[in-house]
Amino acid sequence: MSTLEVKDLHVEVQDGESGAVKEILKGVNLSMSTGEIHAIMGPNGTGKSTLSETIMGQSAYHVTQGDILLDGNSILDMPVDERARRGLFLAMQYPAEIPGVTNAEFLRAAINARRPKDDQISVMSFLKELDKNLDLLDMNEAMTERYLNEGFSGGEKKRNEILQLLMIKPAFALLDEIDSGLDIDALQVVAKGVNSMRGDNFGALIITHYQRLLNYIKPDVVHVMMGGRIVKTGGADLALKLEDEGYAGLRDEFGLDVDLVDEN
Amino acid sequence: MSQETMPLVEDTVTKHDEPTWMADKRRVAIDQLPTLKMPRIQRFDYRDWQLMPSTEIHWQSSSASLAQSELDATTAKMDDQQISVVQVGQTTTQVKLPAQLAKQGVLVMDLFDAMREYPELVKPHLMTNVIKTNETKLTSYHMAMLTSGIFVYVPRGVVVNQPIEAHIIQDSTKTDHPLISHVLIVAEAGSEFAFTQHLSTVGEAENIANCFVEIDAAEDSRVRFSSLDAFGPKTETYFERRGLAATHANIDWAVGLLNDGNTIGNIDTNLLGEGAETDSKMIAITDGTARMGINNGVTNRGKHSVGNILQRGVLLGQSQLVFNGIGDIIHGASGAKAEQENRLLMMSNEARGNANPILLIDENDVLAGHAASVGQVDQQQLYYLMSRGIDRQQAQRLVIRGFLGVVLSAIPAKTVRQELITTIERKLTDEN
Ligand SMILES: Nc1ncnc2c1ncn2[C@@H]1O[C@H](COP(=O)(O)OP(=O)(O)O)[C@@H](O)[C@H]1O
Ligand SMILES: [Mg+2]
Repeated sequence: MSTLEVKDLHVEVQDGESGAVKEILKGVNLSMSTGEIHAIMGPNGTGKSTLSETIMGQSAYHVTQGDILLDGNSILDMPVDERARRGLFLAMQYPAEIPGVTNAEFLRAAINARRPKDDQISVMSFLKELDKNLDLLDMNEAMTERYLNEGFSGGEKKRNEILQLLMIKPAFALLDEIDSGLDIDALQVVAKGVNSMRGDNFGALIITHYQRLLNYIKPDVVHVMMGGRIVKTGGADLALKLEDEGYAGLRDEFGLDVDLVDEN
Repeated sequence: MSQETMPLVEDTVTKHDEPTWMADKRRVAIDQLPTLKMPRIQRFDYRDWQLMPSTEIHWQSSSASLAQSELDATTAKMDDQQISVVQVGQTTTQVKLPAQLAKQGVLVMDLFDAMREYPELVKPHLMTNVIKTNETKLTSYHMAMLTSGIFVYVPRGVVVNQPIEAHIIQDSTKTDHPLISHVLIVAEAGSEFAFTQHLSTVGEAENIANCFVEIDAAEDSRVRFSSLDAFGPKTETYFERRGLAATHANIDWAVGLLNDGNTIGNIDTNLLGEGAETDSKMIAITDGTARMGINNGVTNRGKHSVGNILQRGVLLGQSQLVFNGIGDIIHGASGAKAEQENRLLMMSNEARGNANPILLIDENDVLAGHAASVGQVDQQQLYYLMSRGIDRQQAQRLVIRGFLGVVLSAIPAKTVRQELITTIERKLTDEN
């Protein structure tokens, strides 16, 4: 069993244009183990992506206080690639496009990066695994010979993130708005992919704006994030309650002092 | 160099069995050299380079054992069927040409042998209408000092299906071994073929390389030229690669500049005939303290002629790289098209790069466009790759390959593409 703990996490970013430093996360606490699916819901601009990017180690986000622990050890000083090899995976809200590098070549490099030099994956087992997962995600084989994310539609990019998840098999997956821009069919396919990973050796943190995705991937724990903090944690029914009352309702119920970018 | 070189020219006739017309060309070159200027590479200063190191014509023969071992190493990479010519220093160690093509009149041979055996084919083309001896000091120097070369001749209407592969190995086992080499390619009307050259250095001595390529492409011919330049760190290189395309002729260039040492060069296609076309693709990588300044140009003279330039450069270490894309559209070239794209990727804060489009357009009815950029490695791309567990070095290599991808994937010959990728990967791995 692996654990991922976020303790009193404070994170700042510097605005690219104005240069002003602003605190986004203001003391986030979260703890999860493999075998569990957690969901974080929250209004736009509240810091959900900031949390996932900080866990992954994106250098734009500065941790000013608190810690992130993987299996009890702080990962704050680890570079991004090492965090990944230790078992973290982030399905990004906006995946980068890399021309000139094919999807298949990239996937092999990612798999081999976590294997010893003298035990790289064979072409046969790689292709077998790839075919299986392409099937599961209803993806065309031609996608693997295309350049990584280049010219992919929004939906194709999301599927491709899940394909990587299935190929890499991390201990913890952070899925950032994996549902945005997907029609209901695509949403079901993506959910099928994530559900296929469920098991004792896998945990996921699903970040979403809407409850809809959680109809297809049943969470064990739901967290609500507002104003840079987790303000409430509960079971799957919390998501439904949110759907009914909206973030504004919850904010008022708890008497929270936060601005909502778009009241809903 | 001056009049005292003249007696040495006599030697080339008496001792090297050179035709007198060739010796005359040398004399003319020597005479005019002092009156000429050095070639200009915009925004690149190479005044302190010694590109004309001596006043003597350096004939030499490479040691037989070196020639043999280099030949063996080179042929090990070829299959038996390849059309090939291998030169070590000034020695042509191997020529392979299928009998079938020889019977059709195709020639692939040592340039000096060709001067003697086919003067009627060599004389009218060598440094006359594609590159002229009196252009600059360095073109004169080349003509005066020329000591090695390859001649390729493809007769009217002949189509050669496999590429003609040339391996030119600079012998720098000793000093005073300048490589002054000339590849003369004559494509008669309607002929079609590909020529690929591989340039490398053996030995550690400091020497210059002064390498010219002339392609004279008659009507409706099609020549695809590729070059993989990989001279050693102690070699200072100056090259000219020029094409002259007659009506509806087509000359394509695919060049990978991976020299370890200082390099200046000029690639240019003169689209003389109506509907003549050229597609010029280049990749350059500089590292260490190497400096490289390249002009890549197209001159549109013919109506409806089409020229495209696509260049990518990667700068590592404290190197300098200047790409000048020169588009010259001459009055009367109506309906001409000229496009160019020059991009540089800076992998180091200490490197210096310039990508300059230079357009000289003297005709209204044309379509011309250019794009140029100098940028850093995309941090977002690096982060994405690393977030999948790929380490920084490999992620950088992949991003660089992606940057070069548009040029790489457009290189028609798969073997050249693969060799280029391998050489690039090696250079980038060495860097890390
Ligand atoms: N790299 C960044 N540079 C500057 N501001 C940022 C950056 N990332 C996020 N922010 C700001 O932090 C706040 C939270 O953003 P984000 O974490 O993306 O929220 P969410 O994912 O919950 O919508 C927003 O005000 C956003 O503008
Ligand atoms: Mg977000």
